Amino acid sequence: MEAQNYLDIKGRVLNIQRFCGEDGPGTRTTVFLKGCSYRCKWCSNPESIKPQPELDFNRKACKGAAACGICLKGPFPPGAFYVLDGDDDKVHANWDLANACTEELAELCPTGAIGMFGKEMTAGEVLTEVLKDESMYRNTGGGVTISGGECLLQPDFTAAILRGAQESGIHTAIETAGNVPWEFMEKVLKYVDLMQHDNKLMNPDPERHKKWIGVTNKRSLENFKKAYETFPDVEFIARTPLIPGINADEGHIRAVLDFIKPYKNVIDYELLPYHRYGLGKYAYLGKVYELQDYQSPSPELLEHLRSIIDEAFGRKAEAKA
Amino acid sequence: MKTIKKIAIAIGAGYTPGINSIIMGAAISAHKAGWEVVGIRDGFEGLLFPEKYPNKGLIDLGPEVISKLNPMSSDAMGTAASMDPFNVRTINELEMIEEVDMSDTLLENIKKENIDGVIAIMMGRGLSILHKLNAKGLKSVCIPRTVENDMAATPVAFGFNTALSFCIEMLDRAKQAAVSAKKIGVVEVPGSQAGWLALQSGIAALADAVISPEFPCDVNDLAQNLKSRITPDKPHALVVVAEGSSFVNLPGRTEDTLSDLRKALSPSATEEDSEFTINKSGQAAKTLSYALQQLLADEVYPLVLGPWVRGGNTTAVDRQLGLAYGAASAKALEQSKFGTMATFVPPHIDFVPLIDALNKVRRVDKDHGFIKVAQALGIYTGV
Repeated sequence: MEAQNYLDIKGRVLNIQRFCGEDGPGTRTTVFLKGCSYRCKWCSNPESIKPQPELDFNRKACKGAAACGICLKGPFPPGAFYVLDGDDDKVHANWDLANACTEELAELCPTGAIGMFGKEMTAGEVLTEVLKDESMYRNTGGGVTISGGECLLQPDFTAAILRGAQESGIHTAIETAGNVPWEFMEKVLKYVDLMQHDNKLMNPDPERHKKWIGVTNKRSLENFKKAYETFPDVEFIARTPLIPGINADEGHIRAVLDFIKPYKNVIDYELLPYHRYGLGKYAYLGKVYELQDYQSPSPELLEHLRSIIDEAFGRKAEAKA
Repeated sequence: MKTIKKIAIAIGAGYTPGINSIIMGAAISAHKAGWEVVGIRDGFEGLLFPEKYPNKGLIDLGPEVISKLNPMSSDAMGTAASMDPFNVRTINELEMIEEVDMSDTLLENIKKENIDGVIAIMMGRGLSILHKLNAKGLKSVCIPRTVENDMAATPVAFGFNTALSFCIEMLDRAKQAAVSAKKIGVVEVPGSQAGWLALQSGIAALADAVISPEFPCDVNDLAQNLKSRITPDKPHALVVVAEGSSFVNLPGRTEDTLSDLRKALSPSATEEDSEFTINKSGQAAKTLSYALQQLLADEVYPLVLGPWVRGGNTTAVDRQLGLAYGAASAKALEQSKFGTMATFVPPHIDFVPLIDALNKVRRVDKDHGFIKVAQALGIYTGV
């Protein structure tokens, strides 16, 4: 990292979102990176999972074969896009064949119906975007948050953005699930003020974590403990995406509290109620959403579980829903 | 041309009753030709991860095994939730999940096992995947199977008749319940892109209305039609709706509000249930029932057949079709008709290039004979 200008390091970015209010203190800019080491069945950002840029097809934006039809012939891969018989001449994607489309091909679509999720950027380019709202961070106590996917899968890139931000006096935060080699986390934490980490499923049966998330949480938990101990000046917030029927129960909340409470630099534990707002994006990716029938936790359940956390942190129990 | 000595059978993702009959047809025909027959476990998983399975991921389908198979069932070889060797979820050297292209591994293992040809029993995305494997050198013949009968290039796919028979039986029961309760029953049947099950079962059960994906349903028009049918002598109705149907003029629709949560948690959040969202089983029945309830004085209730249709015992027609598809496919391999799909145009089984079935859906045309039959019987179709 030191051999070259650290701001020249390249990474794969999904999206840069300004004026965020939920990814750390104050008003923030959140940088979403591509690539994830978990496969949560409830994922609301499925376009962030694959490390490489990938096809994004929004059929709504298609003008139709008669008016356009550019994707129905070369240089697009044969059979990648097609039209069904009938009155509706908007194009469909054959995802198994269309995934071979490159960014250059996607740019040929005049309506933007065919696009790509993700693009390559340098840390310097990302930082330029982040610095646009420097005064807002100062006024609101905000800063920059690197999220994902899993931002620690690109440790040099993430560290470079955060280093640049810190050198400009901007508060830095990351959102991570922690399932990476420790060296990746260590490299990034040097430039982090706040680490928000997911404790998704603290079940004694590791197979349950594997079933819903794809791998066990053994390494994540080991990394979190090591991070608390190695970086005493970094603040940590544990978080759980709360899914009724999977982890929205008192036992889970208490298990997370037991895990984090011995460490004074874990300053809070937040619950993120399950939602289905990412559902439409599964269609844009040609993927199937498996949790169609799951509902958000009730306000009463949320209030009850939050009161347990408030009590553990010595706060007066109150509904935050 | 290499003489065939050994073939394999693979079953694509998803369940269809009676697949054993296809396996039996193919194996018996292959045994007569003197070939060895094996089954690949769990889609292609058996040959992608042979170390996980007994007998290197293959199941012996010799004469003794075949003689003991139950043709009504689909339990001989297992199935996979997904069957895409180009996109296989693995754990990498850093112990992280990644999806990798293992198509070369599959083809190498097929070669290593001296398998000279594959009979693949497929539907949906399985056709595209098979097409990609064929382009990389796989020698295969495809047998079409789907309970929705929406695969292009074959008028009858394996599994449709069994599903149709079950739907008719369920519609008869739903109709009895509607008559008894003096209500309007809306029964959703499978059919994400084509209304064959809805239309044919609706005709057989003499439903009042059949709604198919091919013809967007104007709920005002349907409600007016039902009003004219519901009389003191007949205070009930039966509406059959395919799960992929769409609706216009839905009453009382309100715009979703964008919550803070939605704005906060998703960088490019989209609407929860857009028209491009993959249809959820039960959604069509629920949407239509709710709409009709608002437009009619009568009580309307939804029923969903959904996954029930994909289970059970196969019918005599499908059993014959399975045996015939299987036997003909073994013959097609012998004749080197690689890269083709079986098609049943009664009374013949023929083979067409697989590409003829890709990116196409066999849909109900407004001039189709079944639409005319429905109209002659006074069944509302929206056409």
